[in-house]
Amino acid sequence: MSRATVELDFFGMSKESSSSSSKSKFLNRQRSFRDIQSAISKMNPELLKSVIASGSAASNKSTPDNGNQMSSNKSFSVPSTPKQEQPPFPALPVHLPLPRLNLENPLETAPLTIFYNGTVAVFDVPRDKAENILKLAEKGISKTVVEPVADPRTDHQQKLLESLDGDLPIARRKSLQRFLEKRKER
Amino acid sequence: MEESYNRKMNNLNCSGCGVGGGMSDVVLECVMPYIHDPRDRDAVSLVCRRWYELDAITRKHVTIALCYSTSPDRLQRRFKHLESLKMKGKPRAAMFFNLIPEDWGGFVTPWVNEIAESFNCLKSLHFRRMIVKDSDLELLASSRGRVLEVLKLDKCSGFSTDGLSHIGRSCRQLRTLFLEESGIAEKDGDWLHELATNNTVLQTLNFYMTDLTKVRMEDLELLAKNCRSLVSVKISDFELLELVGFFRYASAIEEFCGGSFNEPDQPGKYAAVIFPPKLCRLGLTYMEKNVMSIVFPFASLLKKLDLLYVLLGTEDHCVLVQRCPNLEVLETRNVIGDRGLEALAQSCKRLKRLRIERGADEQEMEDVDGRVSQRGLIALAQGCLELEYIAVYVSDISNAALEHLGAYSKNLNDFRLVLLDQEEMIPDLPLDNGVRALLRGCEKLQRFGLYLRPGGLSDVGLGYIGQYSRHVRWMILGSVGESDEGLLAFSTGCPSLQKLEMRACCFTESALARAALQLTSLRYLWVQGYRETSTGHRDLLTMVRPFWNIELIPSRKVPTVNNAGENDFDDNPAHILAYYSLAGPRTDFPDTVKPLDPAKVVAA
Repeated sequence: MSRATVELDFFGMSKESSSSSSKSKFLNRQRSFRDIQSAISKMNPELLKSVIASGSAASNKSTPDNGNQMSSNKSFSVPSTPKQEQPPFPALPVHLPLPRLNLENPLETAPLTIFYNGTVAVFDVPRDKAENILKLAEKGISKTVVEPVADPRTDHQQKLLESLDGDLPIARRKSLQRFLEKRKER
Repeated sequence: MEESYNRKMNNLNCSGCGVGGGMSDVVLECVMPYIHDPRDRDAVSLVCRRWYELDAITRKHVTIALCYSTSPDRLQRRFKHLESLKMKGKPRAAMFFNLIPEDWGGFVTPWVNEIAESFNCLKSLHFRRMIVKDSDLELLASSRGRVLEVLKLDKCSGFSTDGLSHIGRSCRQLRTLFLEESGIAEKDGDWLHELATNNTVLQTLNFYMTDLTKVRMEDLELLAKNCRSLVSVKISDFELLELVGFFRYASAIEEFCGGSFNEPDQPGKYAAVIFPPKLCRLGLTYMEKNVMSIVFPFASLLKKLDLLYVLLGTEDHCVLVQRCPNLEVLETRNVIGDRGLEALAQSCKRLKRLRIERGADEQEMEDVDGRVSQRGLIALAQGCLELEYIAVYVSDISNAALEHLGAYSKNLNDFRLVLLDQEEMIPDLPLDNGVRALLRGCEKLQRFGLYLRPGGLSDVGLGYIGQYSRHVRWMILGSVGESDEGLLAFSTGCPSLQKLEMRACCFTESALARAALQLTSLRYLWVQGYRETSTGHRDLLTMVRPFWNIELIPSRKVPTVNNAGENDFDDNPAHILAYYSLAGPRTDFPDTVKPLDPAKVVAA
């Protein structure tokens, strides 16, 4: 039996399936955020539920600086336009490794705060999950994230998802791929 | 060879038919050699048995679009006197990263064996996306080395520089050696030495994009000294400063690509590089802004410019193209930006072919202006009226851009557009009206590619493609349409469509199968990313028919290396490949590829 999926609409997006025949612009998906959503929905749902429940409480504490550029010292009720000094996450360069300060216990969770379009959400996540979410947001279109802790989707569901969404990443030509890799090394 | 030809002709003359009714054989003999177009030849061969035989004897060139559609034996029985052969193996998707298994197939061995045995007149061979072994090259060299003039191993793999050494040693009549984008195991640079010492007639040498690093400067210079007819040289990465001697000797070359700039901080050094006077097709790998001026002295002569592998920004592109009023072919990445396209539109009125590839996704690896959108395309359409080929990765698109192309680009025969994922919102979707306008306006269009996203083209738009693509013979469609209805509407049209590739679509197996049956000219179908609805691909049985091979590459996890440098796995959804064949199903499947066996599917 498939595991429970926690659907979080905190990004204020309507669900795909309700407008299958509509030619409206809702079909223009906001991919990167949807991918965060899908990555989050792969996480342990029990963890998510407890995090959301304690979310408002957690956000009012000042978040410790754990090197995560996502976190902010602002409280839950701050107005929508984030004026933080740190750049928003799309600018995070993927090829720079995230600073690893929490070396002693990599599974220890820390708050991950996401500001989007007037809403805020806080999650208590371990470092590797946070990195995965950031990478997904960075990339926009997702490769499947290797999630060792969360329940993996079945192969069939995965295929169905991909075929329904047309969510195959656009393939890159080998010659260009090699050039772009070599260029990074120069 | 001439004698056996004449004998054959006489036999036909003496066969005693056709005196009253048609053209005499003598007349036919004179006319036939002037008919070159393969479709004309195909028509000629269908008139009657005698015309079929005459075509078979006089046909000089055959292209086998998929090597599995026929067999070496059949080819040999029909076209014994063939002088030139081209064939292709792996699906086109093989040139993209991690799509087609490396061992998918397309082995040249059975063909080379037959060539060694039977094809005495063969002078030109072109293998594209096929697997070649050193033993194949050795056999080719020993059996046909004396007459071979053209050898093209085009995006092939499976061989090493040892195989090339055989070619270099034995093929002294070689005019063209083409290895571009092939995967070659490099043992040493001896192959080039063999070529340089044994050949004096070489005109074209191409090992561009092959990662061969052990080639020696002395051998390049020797080749240039010995081969006075050298016209086109495209090499792998090689420090440009070491090519000064080569350029001096290769004084007649018109085309050069490759090289490298390993001392970009010392641009003054590159002033020592003197390019040959007739050079008009150029591509310099890793060229940066501060050395760009070395091409300025002859930029106005340039007809072809390859900027795919340079390190220039948008503004640099503008500066460069403005100096190239005679440019006919430009290849670059989307870093050229809309501003670069506007510069092209103003300065390069003779532009015929434009290819804009996808650069790095990471923002800071490319110029911030480096995006192409409707703005650039509209300017391009209005400014470059002679365009015949456009391939472009865009970040944004509108119906108006496609309408402009339809209105102005009357010579367009090949158009491919891919919409990148960078922008979340593309306001002007769906592109139904634009696509219709483009197809209606570009009457010469024969090749068409459209890769969008959900919502990019509605079912109505997909129907338009069917309706208005009268002469299009090849298409790639990605993420188009909304439902099976669109595909079925599409497949009632496209009267000329021979080869169809589809990716990331929402169609069911049942619709795909029905579409395949409805497309009247279809002989090749490749699909990846569709709605798998039936267990065991049962719905695909709808398209089972004689001579139609159906193969599957079931979904797999493909090892890859992610951005953090770690080993990871990519999900690779299933592929369907179906094609007409006179040779029956393949007998050389790797583990990753499975034939669709109707009996097994029904029993499952």
